[in-house]
Amino acid sequence: MTEAEALQTARDAVAIALDAGATSADASVGVGRRFSVEARDTTVTKLEQSTGKSLQVRVFVDGRKTTFATADFEPAAMRAALARAVAQAAHVESDPLARLPDESADDVPDLGLYDAALAERAEEAGADDVLAMERALRATDARVDNSGGSHYGSAVSVVALANSNGFAGSYVTTRGSRSTGPVATDGPHKRTAHYGTAARSLAELESNEDVARTAARRAVEMFGARKPQTARLPVIFERDVAAAVLSDVFSAISAANVAVGNSWLVDRIGERIGSDLVTIVDDGRLAGLLGSSPFDSEGVATRRTPVFERGVLRSFLFDSYFARRLGAATTGNAAGGGIGPNSFYLEAGTGSLPELIAKTSRGVLVLDTIGFATEHASGTYSRGARGFAIENGELAYPIEEFTIAASLPDMLAGIDAIAADLRFDGSVVSPSFRVAEMTVSGG
Amino acid sequence: MLDDDTLARLLSRALRFGGDYADVFCERRNALSYRLQEGRIHESGLSLTQGVGIRVIVGESAGYAYSDDLSLESLLRAADAASLIARNAPARKQGAIAIVPAKVAPLYDQHRDGHAPAAHYADLLSRADVAARAFDPRVASVNAHVTDEIQDVRIAGSDGRVVGDRRPLITLGVQVVGVAGAERGSGYAADGGRTSINYFDEHDPEKIAREAARIAMVNVEAVPAPAGEMEMVVGAGSGGVLLHEAVGHGLESDFNRRGVSLYSGRVGQRVASELVTILDDGNLPGERGSCSVDDEGVAGAHKVLVENGVLRGYMQDRLNARLMGVAPTGSGRRQSFRVMPQPRMCNTYMPGGESTFEEIVASTKRGIYAKGFGGGQVEISKGDFVFMVAEGYLIEDGRITAPIKNATIVGNGPEAMTKVTAVGNDARLASRHYTCGKGGQYVPVGVGMPTVKIAAITVGGTGD
Repeated sequence: MTEAEALQTARDAVAIALDAGATSADASVGVGRRFSVEARDTTVTKLEQSTGKSLQVRVFVDGRKTTFATADFEPAAMRAALARAVAQAAHVESDPLARLPDESADDVPDLGLYDAALAERAEEAGADDVLAMERALRATDARVDNSGGSHYGSAVSVVALANSNGFAGSYVTTRGSRSTGPVATDGPHKRTAHYGTAARSLAELESNEDVARTAARRAVEMFGARKPQTARLPVIFERDVAAAVLSDVFSAISAANVAVGNSWLVDRIGERIGSDLVTIVDDGRLAGLLGSSPFDSEGVATRRTPVFERGVLRSFLFDSYFARRLGAATTGNAAGGGIGPNSFYLEAGTGSLPELIAKTSRGVLVLDTIGFATEHASGTYSRGARGFAIENGELAYPIEEFTIAASLPDMLAGIDAIAADLRFDGSVVSPSFRVAEMTVSGG
Repeated sequence: MLDDDTLARLLSRALRFGGDYADVFCERRNALSYRLQEGRIHESGLSLTQGVGIRVIVGESAGYAYSDDLSLESLLRAADAASLIARNAPARKQGAIAIVPAKVAPLYDQHRDGHAPAAHYADLLSRADVAARAFDPRVASVNAHVTDEIQDVRIAGSDGRVVGDRRPLITLGVQVVGVAGAERGSGYAADGGRTSINYFDEHDPEKIAREAARIAMVNVEAVPAPAGEMEMVVGAGSGGVLLHEAVGHGLESDFNRRGVSLYSGRVGQRVASELVTILDDGNLPGERGSCSVDDEGVAGAHKVLVENGVLRGYMQDRLNARLMGVAPTGSGRRQSFRVMPQPRMCNTYMPGGESTFEEIVASTKRGIYAKGFGGGQVEISKGDFVFMVAEGYLIEDGRITAPIKNATIVGNGPEAMTKVTAVGNDARLASRHYTCGKGGQYVPVGVGMPTVKIAAITVGGTGD
C-alpha cells in the first residue's frame, strides 16, 4: 500500500464514520514493512519479513468518544464496524471537551525521517550483520562463548492521518537497529549483557563491531561483582539508565497523569524542582531523529516545549483533550490514544563520563537497572541495579544485587553534574548525570 | 478462519525448500473496552484484528511471516517469506498434507459469540466508582476500565493436525489516588479471567474498588521503606510474582537449550529449599494463563517444575522440545499472529505448607511483610531478580507495624529459594490481572503462593 493509498483509506474511513452518524472523526492508517534477522554463533536462527497495516479511528458523537482499531480495510467491513463504534458511543457520557483538536498542522515539513539506504538494504546484508556481531563478540574476549542472539532489524513505516476538519497529511519513516546479547562464562559463573543501537538511517547505526565490543565488555566486566554495603552515596547514571530515569520524569509530566492526580508534579508549575543544571525539553522537530515527526497522532504540528528550565517546572505535555481539561494549549504530544514523548531529553552538560567518574571521590556508577517501581503519585523511585563502586575517582570493583532509591523530586534537585554524552538513539534520551546522594541498599 | 484446503496449500508452500516442521496460526480477536474517569464513562473502544502467521522450523532456525490480508495471494507471499529460512537446508520432498481436525477439551465456553450489552459494562464501572469514592474522603481520583475480549485461533501443523480454540478474557481494573495534605498514594486492584461478564455477578466490582482504595490509603500513610538486608514475609496470592521472576523464567526451555539460564543442565539437582515445590498449570479453569490448547496447538498441561527443592523439568514449546528430545508441555505462547511463539509460563504457583500466617509473622524479628506485589523482572544467567511491593509493612519483634512506601526488593533467585524457611498453609492464586512480558511479547498469566518466609533479602527503600 502506497503513501497515497494509505491517505485515501484514512479519508474514506472518516467519510464512512460521518455517514454512520459521527459528528466528527479522525482516522490514522499505518503501514509497516518489517524485516528482522537473528544469528547465534555461525547460524542464522530467525528470519522474519512481513508487511502489516492498521487503521485507528476516533469517532465523536456529540462529545461521546469511541476508538476503533482494525486491520481489515475492506469498505464493507469498515462500514459495519464503524456503525458498531458509533452505536457504542451512545453508552459514553457526553463530554463537551471531547472533540477533534482546534488546530491542525498547516504543512508537513520533511524532517529527514526516511533513509533510502536503510529501506532498500538487501536482506543478505542484515544476515551478514548478525553473523559479524556474533564473530566480534567472541573475538573481543575468550570468555564470551555463547549468546542469546544478535539481531538486526529494519522497518519502513507509512503514517497517514485525516480528520473531518479537513486535515490530511502523511509521511514515511525508516528505523534500523542492531543489538546483541552475549553470554560469558568463567568457571561456574555465567554473565550476560545486552547492548544495541537504533537510528533512522543506516549510516547513523553504530557498527557491528562497536555494538559487539560494548556488549561483550559489559558481560565480562561484571565477573567478581560484590554486593555493596548499604550506604548513602553519590550515584552516576550512565546515559542509557539515565534515559530510563527521564522516562519516569515523563510519566509525571504527562497531562493524562497530572489531570487525575497521579503525578507528584500536580500544581507545581513555576516551582523550582530540579537543580540549576536541569533543563528538560520535548522537541518533535529535530531533523532525522527517532523522536521526530511532522504532526502528532491527532494531526497537531509538533514543536519544541521547554519542560524544565534551570530546574523550574515550565510545562506539562498535552494532547488537545487534556489541554482543554487543564486550561492549557496542546503541545503536540498526542500518541496512539494517549500522550507520548517526541524527543524528550535532558540537555547535555560538559565533559565525558570518565571525567565525571574522576570527579567523584566515592560513589556508585550504575550501568543497568531492573524493575519499574516508580509510584508516580508520590514520586517514590527504587530500582535493582548493577555497576561499579567508585573509590578515589576510579572504578574500584563491579557491584550487583543492590538497589538505588530516592524520590524523583530529590533526584532532580540532587543532580550536581551532567556529562556531554547526550545521544538521540531513542525518543527519551539523556546524557550521563550524577545525583549527589541516594540510598544504595545492599548487604 | 482459513479452510482446510487453504491450510494444506500454505503448509506445502512454506515447506517448498524443506524444513522440519511448519505451522499456520490463524487468529481473530474482538475486544470491547470502556473507561471511566472523573465519575463518568469517558471513552469506549472496539478492536477487531485478524491475521495469519506462518512459520517454518529447520533445526534451531525459524522463518516467520504474517499477513493481515486474508487473500490467497497475500497468504502465499507470507508462506514464501517464511520458507526462505530453509533455502540452504538439505532438500526434502514435501508430499501433500492431509488436514485432520483434532478435538480438544475446552476449558471455557466455546459457543459465546459476542459481548454483553454495553450498559452492563458501564454499570460495572459506575458501581466501582461509587464504591471507591465512598471508601474514604481522602480518595481524590478514581479511574476504572473494563476490557472484554474473545480470541479465536485455528492452528494447523505440517503433521496435518488442526485445532481451534475460542478464548474469552475479561479484566475489570480500578486505580485510586488518595491525597492527604502533601502526601499522595495510589492503589490498583483488578480481577476477571478467562470467563465472561457473569463472573462479576459473584465477584462484585465494589469489592475490587474498595481493595484499590484501601491500598491507596495505606500508601498515603506509608513511611519510607527501610534499606538493607532483612527478613521478608511474602504475602499469599500475589507473592507468586516472586516465583514467576525468581525461578519461572529461568525454567523456560529457550534459555536452557541455549545454555543462557543458570538452570541449564540442572534437571534432577537440588535448586531450592526442600520446602519449595513450584508448579505451572495451563488447565486451571478461569485463570488468565489457561488455554484449552497453547498457540502451537498443544493441550495445556500440569507441570512440576520444582519438587521438594529438586528441579524436575522445563517449560517447552515445539521448537525447543524437538531440539532437546522431549515432548512439548503446552507452553508455546504468543501475543498475536504477528510474532512467533516462545516457551512461556501459564499459571505458576506454589502449593501450601504447614505454617500458619500468624506463626510466620511472629517468628520474624525485623523485616518487611510484602502483602501485595506490583510486578518484577529477572536477569536469566545469574538469576538476580527484582519485584515491586505495591503494599508493604514493617515487621518489628513479630508484629506487623507501619505501612511502607513502594519499594523494590532485590535478590538472587537460587539463593532466595534456599533461604525459604517457612511455607504457609494458606496457598491461593492471586486475583486475575497479571501480564508477563518477554522479548517484547505480552501474554496473560496467573500466579499463586502461600505466605512464605525468606530469611534474608535486600529491601531497596530510603529509610532506616
